[in-house]
Amino acid sequence: MTYAIKKDYDSQRDKWLVVLTGEIDISNAAGLKQELSDAYGEHAADMDVDISGISYIDSTGLGIIISLYGKMRESGNKIKLLNPRDNVKKLLKITQLDKVLC
Amino acid sequence: MLGGAEMNDHIKLVIPCKPEYVSTVRLMVSSVASRAGFNIEAIEDMKVAVSEACTNIINHSKLCGEDEYRVMCTRGTDRMEILVEDDGVGFDAVGRPEVEQGKISESGLGIFIIKALMDEAEVLSEEGCGTRFLMAKYLTVGEE
Repeated sequence: MTYAIKKDYDSQRDKWLVVLTGEIDISNAAGLKQELSDAYGEHAADMDVDISGISYIDSTGLGIIISLYGKMRESGNKIKLLNPRDNVKKLLKITQLDKVLC
Repeated sequence: MLGGAEMNDHIKLVIPCKPEYVSTVRLMVSSVASRAGFNIEAIEDMKVAVSEACTNIINHSKLCGEDEYRVMCTRGTDRMEILVEDDGVGFDAVGRPEVEQGKISESGLGIFIIKALMDEAEVLSEEGCGTRFLMAKYLTVGEE
């Protein structure tokens, strides 16, 4: 169970561009939470997360995004999930997270 | 179990209560469901649902990593049933508040997802008596 993350801060647009690939579940979610929190701590800016390479995610992974969404919202920033695969899109839809995260 | 169709094959897994083995459970469920003739979408649903049950046990049963819990798939003629059970501390399943539709929350999301993805789902638990997640997916005509 692995994932990979690529984080780039675009200073001109004041925005994070994050690309996630792999699978996210309880075994690796804490590491991802730390990576995203560190990025936001470095530059408190909006975050676009390309998840086209995520083949599996469950409530633990979604919980991280929800947590970050709440934290960013408090400081006036947004996180967007881009290009989810059909199975991930289904999960976002049934939890209604698509309305705020996509 | 949840009742219904005639049952035949049982596939059981006893695993340590550790996060790194949840993917092993997914592999087993995926393999059995594929063998039973489910389509990719249904298999993905079952993988997520069983992972949510395992995650709930790891997070809330208060079992340690040396303890074990059990997963059993029952392949029936028109359905697949999945049982995930532990001997942990249990919880008040009846008095537990449901996740509100449209309200963004991390808490309770797992059980909400299980119920949304599976055709049948029950969570049976009492404080001090362990927890049992029972779920079923129907094999629809044309899938097999």
